Amino acid sequence: MISKVKKQAFWLAAVLSLALLAACGAANNNAGTAAYGSPAGQSAAPAPSAAAAVKTVTHGMGSTEITGTPKRIVVLEWTYAEDLIALGIQPVGAADTAGYKKWITSQAALGSDVVDVGTRQEPNLEAIAALKPDLIIAAQFRVTNSYDKLKQIAPTLAFNSYPAEGTMDQYAEMEATFKTIADITGKSSEAEKVLQDLNKAYESAKSKLKTSGKEGREFALTQAYSNQNAAALRIFTDNSMAVQILQRIGLKNAYHSTKFEMYGYTQASVEALLPLEKADFLYVVQKEDNVFEKQLKDNAAWKGLAFVKENRTYGLDPSTWLFGGPLSAKTFVEQTAKLLAK
Amino acid sequence: MTGSRHSFGRPVAVIAAGLVLLAVFAVAGLGQGQAGVGLSQALAAVYHAGDSPADHLIRGVRLPRAVMGILAGSALAAAGALLQTVTRNALASAGTMGINAGAFFVVVAGTVFFPALARSAPLALAFAGGSLAAAVSYLLAGGRKSTPVRLALSGMIVTLVLSSFTGTMQLLYENETGGLFVWGSGLLQQNDWSGVRYAWPWIAAGLAVAWLMSRKLDVMTLGDETARSLGQHIGAVRGTALGLAVLLAAVTVSVVGPIGFIGLMAPHLVKLMGLKRHSLLLPAAAVWGAAILTGADLVARLFISTLGELPAGAVTAGLGAPWLIALAVRESRGRGAAEGQGGTSAAGARWRLPLAIRLANRAALRRAARDAGEPPFILRVQMEAAITYWTWLVLAVLLLGGALVAGIVFGAVRVPPGEVLQVLTGGGESLSRHIVLQLRLPRELAAAAAGALLAASGALLQGAVRNPLADPSVVGITSGAGAGALLLLTLWPAAGAAMLPAASAAGAFAAALAVCGFAYRSGLQPAVLTLVGIAVSAAGAALIQLLVTRSAMGAAPALAWLAGSTYARGWDAFAGLGIGAALILPAAWLLGRRWDLLAFGDAVATGLGLRLRRTRLLAAALGVAAAAVAVAYVGTVGFIGLLAPHAARLAAGQNQRRLLVLASLFGAVFLVLADLIGKTAIAPKEIPSGLMTALVGTPYLLFLLWKSAGPRSGAS
Repeated sequence: MISKVKKQAFWLAAVLSLALLAACGAANNNAGTAAYGSPAGQSAAPAPSAAAAVKTVTHGMGSTEITGTPKRIVVLEWTYAEDLIALGIQPVGAADTAGYKKWITSQAALGSDVVDVGTRQEPNLEAIAALKPDLIIAAQFRVTNSYDKLKQIAPTLAFNSYPAEGTMDQYAEMEATFKTIADITGKSSEAEKVLQDLNKAYESAKSKLKTSGKEGREFALTQAYSNQNAAALRIFTDNSMAVQILQRIGLKNAYHSTKFEMYGYTQASVEALLPLEKADFLYVVQKEDNVFEKQLKDNAAWKGLAFVKENRTYGLDPSTWLFGGPLSAKTFVEQTAKLLAK
Repeated sequence: MTGSRHSFGRPVAVIAAGLVLLAVFAVAGLGQGQAGVGLSQALAAVYHAGDSPADHLIRGVRLPRAVMGILAGSALAAAGALLQTVTRNALASAGTMGINAGAFFVVVAGTVFFPALARSAPLALAFAGGSLAAAVSYLLAGGRKSTPVRLALSGMIVTLVLSSFTGTMQLLYENETGGLFVWGSGLLQQNDWSGVRYAWPWIAAGLAVAWLMSRKLDVMTLGDETARSLGQHIGAVRGTALGLAVLLAAVTVSVVGPIGFIGLMAPHLVKLMGLKRHSLLLPAAAVWGAAILTGADLVARLFISTLGELPAGAVTAGLGAPWLIALAVRESRGRGAAEGQGGTSAAGARWRLPLAIRLANRAALRRAARDAGEPPFILRVQMEAAITYWTWLVLAVLLLGGALVAGIVFGAVRVPPGEVLQVLTGGGESLSRHIVLQLRLPRELAAAAAGALLAASGALLQGAVRNPLADPSVVGITSGAGAGALLLLTLWPAAGAAMLPAASAAGAFAAALAVCGFAYRSGLQPAVLTLVGIAVSAAGAALIQLLVTRSAMGAAPALAWLAGSTYARGWDAFAGLGIGAALILPAAWLLGRRWDLLAFGDAVATGLGLRLRRTRLLAAALGVAAAAVAVAYVGTVGFIGLLAPHAARLAAGQNQRRLLVLASLFGAVFLVLADLIGKTAIAPKEIPSGLMTALVGTPYLLFLLWKSAGPRSGAS
């Protein structure tokens, strides 16, 4: 009888300690790596000369020291690939290269010899390691679970392009990250030039709008797709980069969200367009999923909207990426000015 | 005719109450939306056919949505009522039988692979998928021999498998829009009247035909014998009613996607209010189903975020889960312990053992069996089993070794086997060392440990619940873990990924406690436990969807993690899983002997002096712990807890210790192989192993089906 009690006590203890163990799983996060790990730099490119400068970069996952000027960069998010290409650097590897070509402007074309390292969500660690990179650039929200593994391969920067409420807007973040990447890669003067170019593009778009009498027009910007059979819209808010860009060419956002939207858009149905009908309607859809020509074609509410009746809907090129870097921004304003001034 | 037995009063009151409720919900829905068009304006638009944009909005968007909700709700409710009558199973409905998931899967597959066909004949596709899923669930549950619990379980399994398939397709053909979130829950949003125009003739006809069959359906409830003696063609009636039910569900799914629990709630509600005859039951259920769905949609529209609208299906699941729990507890009364005692205990339940026997060991049991006049069948089986057991044990160890070696040799980057050998003996170049020692080895070992834990969890839970279909993902533990993780991300976004394992473990134990708590009053009967598990699972899934909608930013990593993945798992994950396995598996082994007796049924076990509740609780607690540790590190990987113990049972018989050892080995092999295929099949892209296990497990599931459909359902 006593032994029975003991046994039960043992089981109880075992179960309890397991609960504890699961709870403490996070604590020994880094315990295993040191024991077996090759040091972080070992698999990377040969160490640069002793004279190389060390730069410390603060980013979404902490701060990282980068020695010398990285030459072999693997980039796991399209925006940062575009940033590199704008600076005249082709990465050695990039995530979802097929998607990049589909979504990002051809002005920032990815080199044909850039190696695809898998999806952006779960990039292939072996493929990345095999490229022997000396820098990895990623989006913070995608790599929270794999950051430790990436860090073992090469110094990894994880930027957050969706700043929290009250910090900075998405445009400021884009500029800051672009400049940081330029600084690390020793391309600061190129970065200046790219940003000056962008400002010129803003000026010329502005004057184009002025001559056609569209200066200061109100707009509503949406990205749309079908969700099951219904049309789903993303209406961009003031903190979004896309709206910030259009404001720089003198246009005004007609849509005002009642609450802060971290991603920079409100998810909505066609209903939400009703209060916006006096504005010019700008949209991005994929060719094979054009909800305005398919799902909403016979929609009474859509057909009744003033901007539909008065032909003030403007479809941007499907490869207009509203979450990109300076080159995406440039194509975006050029297109918008061309469409509106027509 | 209808009033001859009971007065008109009650049916009229029930239907009228439903209509009033429906009207209130539908009108309230008209005034709700993003355009800022209020109720009075909305009503004016309906009555006065004005021409302002607001008028068009109401008539072109909100009105079709309201009508679609009414159509879908009534169709699903009627389908549920029909299925419950035909299968004589109180828990049958389009959702619980997997019909919704089947129809939705085929519709999604059609959109991806045959877009032209999907556009021209969506109903035919949905109908085919729904029928197939219904047939599979029914056969998997044992066909005519199916009990309500078995049917609910097999429907749940079919739903899980098909959802994984749908998930895989959405992942591989992701169109940038958050495909992960659109996991297939019904959305009532309409663009125009086309959905309604397409659906209403089918639904109206289906309801009308079902109503005309009322008397035949009434006769069906009397039992096959009576029905036949009354001149009824049972086969024809059953076939027609089944076809109607699938049609009604398929039409609904092809327009609004899968919406669960309406078919369960509405008919039962109406039956509770005293309507039994189908001529009244069907229309009343339809009205109440429409009211419930319209009400659910009203709630769903309150939650909208950057990831989209909360699907109405999530709300109905949240409403339906408590309902299922109540049903489960009610069902258990009167049926007693007989329900859910799988094939294994059928013989045991007949034995009458002298109360004097209190020795809880196998020798005594054998003696008891002889005393009771049973042939020494157990002895013979055990000797045969011993031989196959050792053969299988050796084979399983070899398989695991082979799978691990393959997992270390193959990957996205080619490392020659010679080089791998060098690395393992301490040499090799640094890149190969990194890939093998830091990326492949820990990942494979973590997969093996997680697989073993999940399989052990399944074996333990099945022993505790005495139901071979109990699996951590079926009885609510994994969805509890997922809800726990998401709750952390929503309430405390700063906590980050590091705290996820702790939160998921807490969620798993909370779900398990909830299941045990609800089932406690009925003596933790297997049937009740399993049903409550399914209900808690549904509630957890609804909570997950709600949280995902609320917590835009934090959801992205959580969703990837929820899909179940061995991606990027390192030595720390293996350490956690390894310690978990080292503690749980021996404890389970120690419990094994006592637990053997559980399989012989409550009467015998009590006779042998076993404190049933405690043993069962202990087995269940160990099972939950095993699942919690595994889920904490690899996310929600399903099916292993179902398939591995089943395969082990075929090899090891009912000896729990052997079963545990073999199941753990099989589970480890299974997950390592799933991981291997997932990381190599379309490299450099990775398929999450949680989805791979479903893909790999399906052939086995079909085998299981084939076995249980055979003349002897000994497989289970």
